[in-house]
Amino acid sequence: MISASRLSKSYGATRAVDDLTFEVRPGVVTGFLGPNGSGKSTTMRMVMGLDHPDSGTVTIGGRRFGDLRWPLREVGALLEAKSIHPGRSAANHLWAMAQTNSIPRSRVDEVLGQVGLEAVARRKAGKFSLGMSQRLGIASALLGDPGVLLFDEPINGLDPEGILWVRNLLKSLAGEGRTIFVSSHLMSEMALTATDLVVIGRGQLIADTTVDDFIASNTEATVLVRTPGADRLAGVLRAAGAGVRDQEGDGLLVTGLDAARVGDLALEAGVAVHELSPVQASLEEVFMDLTSDMVDFHGHTPLEVGR
Amino acid sequence: MTTATLGTPLPALDHGRAGLVNQVRSEWTKLRSVRSTWICLVIVFVAGIGLSALVSNIEAGQWSHLGLADRASFDPVRFSQTGSFLSQFVVGVLGAMVVTSEYATGSIRTTLSITSRRTTVLAAKLVVVGAVVFVIAEATAFTSFFVGQAVLLAHGAKALPAGSSILTQVHSSSIPYVSLSDGGALRAVFLSGTYLLLLALLACAIGFVLRHTAGAIAAFVGVLLVLPLIVSVLPSSVAHSFEKYLPSNLGLAMTLVTTRKTDFAGVLFTPWTATALLALYAVAAVVLASWLLVRRDA
Repeated sequence: MISASRLSKSYGATRAVDDLTFEVRPGVVTGFLGPNGSGKSTTMRMVMGLDHPDSGTVTIGGRRFGDLRWPLREVGALLEAKSIHPGRSAANHLWAMAQTNSIPRSRVDEVLGQVGLEAVARRKAGKFSLGMSQRLGIASALLGDPGVLLFDEPINGLDPEGILWVRNLLKSLAGEGRTIFVSSHLMSEMALTATDLVVIGRGQLIADTTVDDFIASNTEATVLVRTPGADRLAGVLRAAGAGVRDQEGDGLLVTGLDAARVGDLALEAGVAVHELSPVQASLEEVFMDLTSDMVDFHGHTPLEVGR
Repeated sequence: MTTATLGTPLPALDHGRAGLVNQVRSEWTKLRSVRSTWICLVIVFVAGIGLSALVSNIEAGQWSHLGLADRASFDPVRFSQTGSFLSQFVVGVLGAMVVTSEYATGSIRTTLSITSRRTTVLAAKLVVVGAVVFVIAEATAFTSFFVGQAVLLAHGAKALPAGSSILTQVHSSSIPYVSLSDGGALRAVFLSGTYLLLLALLACAIGFVLRHTAGAIAAFVGVLLVLPLIVSVLPSSVAHSFEKYLPSNLGLAMTLVTTRKTDFAGVLFTPWTATALLALYAVAAVVLASWLLVRRDA
């Protein structure tokens, strides 16, 4: 369990984290979502005792990081994959970490095997690809067999097979009753991996909920209709109180009515219907809508300008 | 934690907490597992012995051309410890890099996120760097001493009569060599190694304060080389009261054989006072370093 209470942190004039309160419960994967620069990494650094909050507290299993007696055995973290001396071998890097918390040598080989790096254990970490560094970072998070795990953008640099592996790893770790807190700016990834969500923008909490509730409470039910009589049907549906938008020529996107009601109205009006399907908003779309005014660094593409 | 994913569960530790002994083991693993450590240590040892042999050989070759005053200040111990002029920078780089390489690579965040007390990290680094530098520096100092005396012996040097004042060498026609039991020789050689130990600790603390390799090394070299230059251009009355406090001059004072007549006699502190003062500098730097380490974001 991770609990943050009224956490705030500024760097100079920039307010990186602003009065953030949330809880991460054990047993499920909790996604930590926000645009780049929204304060995710700062928050994670405060959880790990690396940055000091200006105000507020954050605890791991009820205790602050500084009060943990065997920190590596209680909380494991992958914060930046490249936090490794490039001249040191992967095995020595992990062994030095293990020694600080009285973790036996055999454990080092075990986690190297689990992340698939046993073949390069003696190679200098500086020669690792980003994907291999990422795996080594995951190995160091697993080293102390901790009940709480933090991963900051764990799938960066991984190939599709690696991404699938991380996804399954996170889920099975959560299935064992561990607390799993994973940050990402990739909403689609969180939709596949996470059960709970903490969403922030500009350091402020936007939502602390489940993925399903987050989508449901932030989208209107939408129905896609394809029909040769698009103009007529649009008039009928608007008259029935629906919102209607054109979609690629013969398609209409209808909000405010469910699919059955749309079908009934079309039959009454004598309009042929070629397709009628409810549209599920993706987490990505919901997230973009919610945070579009909170993104610090807009790309100047027409899409962004249009928002 | 019971685990299927993570293989064998770790045996739980219900007592104690991660402490200095754990951290010292870890820092030793880190220090010995990078090549730069071994390069630094080899340089200290080889340069120490090589320069001792070279300088002793040159000085012995000059003996017959020396006047009385120069013969009086002919110091077989100091010649044998010439290598420490180079080694002081090498151990400084080693001490600083133990800290700044972690900041440069970002691995300091790994280090600090697996230990709940930051001062333990600082203490462990000082212990490990201190122990390694102390062993290699003393081994080098004593080996260099014997190599230096052997070179003088090869030039026909003679031992001073037992219990004689060192100044009697002025009246001797032959080159003197010294054994460890002669006035102050053992102390001078031992403190020559101790000087390097204290500098390494000072550099390590500077590393924590500045957190950048180039900055820390520049500051360290500045203290040893540039500070004396600045003091030397001050009015001589002011300079005289300052120069004995300079770390480089404390090092000189530590290795002085005080029974020998030298240009520095009376200008410098006594060897043990100089040692205490340099240790005080190191302690002050460590206090500042730990104060900053605990308060700053990593």
